[in-house]
Amino acid sequence: MLYQKSATELSAMLARGEISAVELTRSVLGRIEETDGKVGAYVTVCAEDALKQAAAVDSRRARGEELPALAGIPVAIKDNICTKGVLTTCSSKMLYNFKPPYNATVIERLNAAGAVMPGKLNMDEFAMGSSCENSAIKLTHNPHDLTRVPGGSSGGSAAAVASGETILALGSDTGGSIRQPSSCCGIVGLKPTYGSVSRYGLIAFASSLDQIGPMARTVGDAALLYNTICGRDERDATSAHHTYPDFTKCMGKGVKGLRIGVPKEYFGLGVTKEVEKAVLEAVDALRAEGAEIREISLPSTDAALAAYYIISSAEASSNLARFDGVKYGYRAREIDGLIDLYEKSRSEGFGDEVKRRIMLGTFVLSSGFFDAYYKRGKVLQQKIASEFAEAFEGCDLIATPTSPFTAFRLGENVDDPLKMYAADICTVTVNIASLPAMSIPCGTGADGMPIGLQLIGPRFSEAALFNAAAHYESLVGGFNKIPAIG
Amino acid sequence: MKKDYEIIIGLEVHAELNTKSKIFCTCKNAFGGEVNANCCPVCTGMPGTLPVLNEQVVYSCIRMGHALGCTIHNICKQDRKNYFYPDLPKAYQISQFDVPLCENGALEVMLDDEGHTKTIGVTRIHIEEDAGKLIHDDNFSGSLVDFNRCGVPLIEIVSEPDMRSSAEAKAYLDTIKSILQYLNISDCKMQEGSIRCDVNVSVRPVGQKEFGTRVEMKNVNSFSAAVRAIDYEAARQIELLEDGGHVVQETRKWNDAIGENMVLRSKEDAQDYRYFPEPDLLTIVVPQEKVDALRAEQPELPNARCKRYMFENKLPRFDANLLVENRDRGDLFDAAAALGAPAKAAANWLNGDVARLLGERGLTLADTKLTAESLAEMIDAIEKKTISNTAGKTVIEEIMFSGKSVSEVISEKGLAQVSDTGALRSVVEEVLSKNEKAVGEYKAGKTNVIGFLVGQCMRATKGKGNPELLRKLLEELIG
Amino acid sequence: MNEIKIDINHIAKLARLKMDEEQAEKFARQMTDIIGMVDSLPAIEGTATGLDPANPMTLRPDVVVVSETTREEILSNAPQVEAGCVVVPRIVE
Repeated sequence: MLYQKSATELSAMLARGEISAVELTRSVLGRIEETDGKVGAYVTVCAEDALKQAAAVDSRRARGEELPALAGIPVAIKDNICTKGVLTTCSSKMLYNFKPPYNATVIERLNAAGAVMPGKLNMDEFAMGSSCENSAIKLTHNPHDLTRVPGGSSGGSAAAVASGETILALGSDTGGSIRQPSSCCGIVGLKPTYGSVSRYGLIAFASSLDQIGPMARTVGDAALLYNTICGRDERDATSAHHTYPDFTKCMGKGVKGLRIGVPKEYFGLGVTKEVEKAVLEAVDALRAEGAEIREISLPSTDAALAAYYIISSAEASSNLARFDGVKYGYRAREIDGLIDLYEKSRSEGFGDEVKRRIMLGTFVLSSGFFDAYYKRGKVLQQKIASEFAEAFEGCDLIATPTSPFTAFRLGENVDDPLKMYAADICTVTVNIASLPAMSIPCGTGADGMPIGLQLIGPRFSEAALFNAAAHYESLVGGFNKIPAIG
Repeated sequence: MKKDYEIIIGLEVHAELNTKSKIFCTCKNAFGGEVNANCCPVCTGMPGTLPVLNEQVVYSCIRMGHALGCTIHNICKQDRKNYFYPDLPKAYQISQFDVPLCENGALEVMLDDEGHTKTIGVTRIHIEEDAGKLIHDDNFSGSLVDFNRCGVPLIEIVSEPDMRSSAEAKAYLDTIKSILQYLNISDCKMQEGSIRCDVNVSVRPVGQKEFGTRVEMKNVNSFSAAVRAIDYEAARQIELLEDGGHVVQETRKWNDAIGENMVLRSKEDAQDYRYFPEPDLLTIVVPQEKVDALRAEQPELPNARCKRYMFENKLPRFDANLLVENRDRGDLFDAAAALGAPAKAAANWLNGDVARLLGERGLTLADTKLTAESLAEMIDAIEKKTISNTAGKTVIEEIMFSGKSVSEVISEKGLAQVSDTGALRSVVEEVLSKNEKAVGEYKAGKTNVIGFLVGQCMRATKGKGNPELLRKLLEELIG
Repeated sequence: MNEIKIDINHIAKLARLKMDEEQAEKFARQMTDIIGMVDSLPAIEGTATGLDPANPMTLRPDVVVVSETTREEILSNAPQVEAGCVVVPRIVE
């Protein structure tokens, strides 16, 4: 079936005229029809528009136009990325009816490349969560075991990619929201260097940490999508001035002499034995290919989670203040005056996790506590970043688990925020230090659920990450396996 | 026995900058217009949108910082000031908190025409965005929000509490305004609200060292309102203290229509703005060369110009002060003087008739057709006695608004002065015959009545008679 | 380590959120746990100035580009619109 193939293969088939974009889109839409009732990855399916986009690509190709590699390839979008005229809910009651009047920069780039958008994907509300259970819209199930969570917050993206309900997807990652669900669902997910992908049109959770990134079933596919979305955007002041290579040509260089650091601090932290074992085996496999493995130390790792929750919540409390029932989204009925409008709309529109973080963020910024918490968090951030910088003097990449454990069962951790937060423990440091990191599958646990290996590099080292990840992918005979659903 | 009190005043001036585009988006920076028609997803705070800082806003603020002798923090940042209000669509204002662009300046203001000056400290100047406007009208089911003004760039100029009277505050405000105009960074249109101020007032018995409790007043929308607001608030505080009460730290709102203020919020309700660094923007770094270049471009400022007029053009301080009040007037004066127009005459025309005519019509010099050439030509015509001073009043109005040349106006209106003794003699005779009483007074030694008689002759000649000739004839015929 | 007391009602007011007592208590407990992570950290030296001159911002030239987004599109998501404006409950000024 076409939906099972990789974007790289499909792109070549489209270019050779062996298949049409409409056929491919129909295949993906058919798969959504077939399995999304069980998986629940999509908030909005845009079947009609997707077919129109596909037909447009086909007719351009028929005219002999040379098209970008992504032309005709279905790319589904996390529901916190603005799509003009198409519902963008952040999986929140607060934005249940929000249709943005503009496109995010990444959407403009995908449109220019001729990508097809099958729909918008479920997530934890406003990207806050690690299981997708904080969605106010629906539950998403892990395609490998429907009784388990897909991870989060880009759980819909991971589940859609893993189940074949899309070829590629965009997620966003503030503390692990691309990598952790990628790990849970056995796919490839890249959290790019901060500033490499425009945030214009990404509904902000924590502006200084958020980054959009590609999710795919193969490393090459992730590179293909990343090629299209990275680059300077004048509409995002935090967007970096940097020249990017063609990442699809950065793979296949081998790992001989590659210095891989293994930080011991990432193997305590509640990391299960099976996860530790799978990750170390993957590292050993790379060692066997000529990589040099070094034990390193990142001593402030356990402080990172605290710094992360302080900084991200502080920014979120401000970023989410604009949702007040006035300009867009949910407005409470039966209100008595302006303050009541604000308080009722916000209290009824936001879920508990979002409120909890807004409260925490408001507190750490409030008078008398700013220095003790927010400022301290920023000092910790600098410390963590400088420890990474020091570590990268002695190694090229760092290997860790992505998630300390495999996907847990739906409902298992809902009432325990601290336990839920622990799922982010291996990933938040990367955002805190503005680094790129990738999660790739490295085996399964006793429960049959996927385990993820996280590779972390210095800023703008995505080419090295793709190369190492692709090498491991070929060692294990490829990742692209869609599980039977149900 | 009433004690004597000292009034302590500090001012926060918000000036809208006249950049082409808004501070964080490319919308036009314009006043008014159809509601919500000059906005975009960025300035209306649509989810996902991001600010991109306009370089001109930074440069304009640095210019003002140079003019006020500030330290320029060419490495600085912006911060978010968080509060909920319908005119603030993001629910935070992007401003500057702990590292403003400009800090620690001072401004010398002239207090009177005798040359008394005072130096007022300037704490800081920072950049920020303006908010939208609320429309209150009973015809609608609630208050309406117009976002057009959202994102209009502002600088906020904060003074030290160095002023001691409303007159000093007024002088400070006038000077700030004229500097903004000289730098051409703000339109300074009071009626459009492009300059607004918050006023901090406290009082203390003369001789007391500690400051009294401070009250902040908002909604002061003009400089004359600032004077009224300060005088009212100082009197209110003094009365409170005299009655044995004490001043409460609070924010009050000035209502200029009724000339009173009322409590807006008490200290307990003081807002907690939760400032923190704006994560959507990076560090502002203005190269030192650019900072220096902006200093080098600085035009002559009003204080320096005023001194030049006094010392080089030998104008009285009063005239010099009026000339520098706005930059256009001084520029026109300089240009006319360069063409040879006598300084005192040029100043008199600009500060007198020209200012009056503009004031009557609510216009500025730029709205007229007056040029330095035409002004100099007209003054020359008066000096050469081609026309009388009275006829000049007609000429100036014509050249300002019709754009005709001086000679055209003189010939069209028949304003050329009559210097023909024969023609004037009959006029004088007639005036004398109609004003026997004045003639008697003159003969009785009250010689200054001659001015009245000259005036009568001027009227009879419709302003065309040469007044000096008329005077001579009058003296001759009476004597 | 001193236990920080979070004035949950004050914070809720600042954040424009309403909650019942039970929820307020739960939030207070959970927030205390999280900030407890910070309080228990060893002192770290250093200051955070918020300035990073090594990574300067590119400023935008002062050029007007009129938005393609129309007023109707801007207002299309607003719950209540009258006369081209978003409507809020009457504010007495």
